[in-house]
Amino acid sequence: MAGAVRIEEFADPGYDPFNSDEINFGDTLDPYSTIASWRSAGPVQEGDYRPRMGLQSALYPDRKSFTVIGTPEILEVLTDTERFSNAAYAFNLGITFGQGSISTMDNPEHGRWRKIFQKIFLPQFVKTWGESVVDPVVHGLMSKFVDRGHADLVSEFTIRYPFEVIYRQLDLPEADVRTFQRLAIGQTDYMNSDKAMEAGRKLGAYFVALVEERRGRPGNDLVTLLANTEVDGEYLPEVVLISFLRQLMNAAGDTTYRATSVLLTALLENPDQLEEIRRDRSLIAPAIEEALRWDGPVLVQLRMAKADVELGGVSIPAGSLLDVVAGAANRDPALFPEPDRFDIHRRRDAHFSFSRGPHICVGQHLARVEMTRALHAVLDHLPNLRFDPDRPRAEIRGSMMRVPHHLFVRFGG
Amino acid sequence: MPKITVTTRSGEEREIDAPVGMSLMEAIREARIDEMLALCGGCCSCATCHVKVDPDFAGTLPPVSADESDLLDSSDHRDARSRLSCQIPVTAELAGLRVTIAPED
Repeated sequence: MAGAVRIEEFADPGYDPFNSDEINFGDTLDPYSTIASWRSAGPVQEGDYRPRMGLQSALYPDRKSFTVIGTPEILEVLTDTERFSNAAYAFNLGITFGQGSISTMDNPEHGRWRKIFQKIFLPQFVKTWGESVVDPVVHGLMSKFVDRGHADLVSEFTIRYPFEVIYRQLDLPEADVRTFQRLAIGQTDYMNSDKAMEAGRKLGAYFVALVEERRGRPGNDLVTLLANTEVDGEYLPEVVLISFLRQLMNAAGDTTYRATSVLLTALLENPDQLEEIRRDRSLIAPAIEEALRWDGPVLVQLRMAKADVELGGVSIPAGSLLDVVAGAANRDPALFPEPDRFDIHRRRDAHFSFSRGPHICVGQHLARVEMTRALHAVLDHLPNLRFDPDRPRAEIRGSMMRVPHHLFVRFGG
Repeated sequence: MPKITVTTRSGEEREIDAPVGMSLMEAIREARIDEMLALCGGCCSCATCHVKVDPDFAGTLPPVSADESDLLDSSDHRDARSRLSCQIPVTAELAGLRVTIAPED
């Protein structure tokens, strides 16, 4: 049945989803000093996060918004599921990924589906992918520039490898990959919501066809596995299955691209620490955790008050939206002394970059495997790695999501 | 409140009062033993509340569910005494229980 599954491009040939970063996620160089300046005004403040960072407010239904920056209050919102709901994500993730996204659900419904996805991504399973999937992808990309002595590690490496890992997991036809990535990135272009919805619709149609194909002709891939997973004798509901597949690209691809780019930038800015890791690879794991703490890819989570609640001394009416600034907890000086300093030898306390509570990142173990393999490959193949003095220095930007758009480096002699 | 003895990673023994109705994870956290992360907050979504339980009490604990077992398999430190403490409700029968916080993965 070759050709039965077709992927459909955006109708507007001039639309470039890769330009959607700034309007959606900001281009602020240092959101952390801004967040720090808010601390004196209290742990919970009325108003949403985006306009405080110079961004247009998100297009949510009319209701009150609050920004949560105190660490105890952040933990409270993320873990007290009696009072705070994930239903807020129905207004953005739900519209494009689908209302079957487990990010939009609360327990017990959330847990019912989550445990199926969670099992696939447990460390004991994903660590086998390190060798079988991640290494070949990483080495394939690196071989294209390793003899050149210079590269842009973002455009040639970090923005590509986590997505290619997913294409291999899903066993996507090579010819579909480019359109697939454009649709996947376009799904979170919420400020151009017609494009986000077009992307969600077209990616959904593609996955529905792919699921049907893999039920008839099973392969050895993640679509086949999920398409044929049964709960109580029935397939997963289509809305849950398709939402998960749509979300996977952003949850596993986009975030890992950002986190790896930040990790490499931090190490280049701290060459003594990079040198220590070269001499002692056991420092890779703490370096990854520190990069995630110091500048995690996702700064803010969204929740909704289920009832009238009191949080951090502030009264919050039922139905209000809460921007929970995980990045504020990561830079809380009460938890992390000298929080703005990148220090791989820092006492290892859990960061907030995979969030907390029942929605804690399902893919966190895969992210760690990918970043570990990427850093090993950098250490193995790029000796004497340094910023390229003739090109603009990498700048990590964004106030919702963080990434440097380029990382120009030299290596070798 | 049943008294439970918790051995921390450094080997220190602490006797805590565990309120009936809480999970063992919550009771340990309430006692301000903060080295157990319990990142998911107690809904069997991570394996960061891993403890080793005194085998004498195995019969008084609820059995390990398939989900809990999968998560425990993710730890390099799993053995026959391993449990996720968020999955153990504190009951009066647990008085005298001894648990050790498992090493960090």
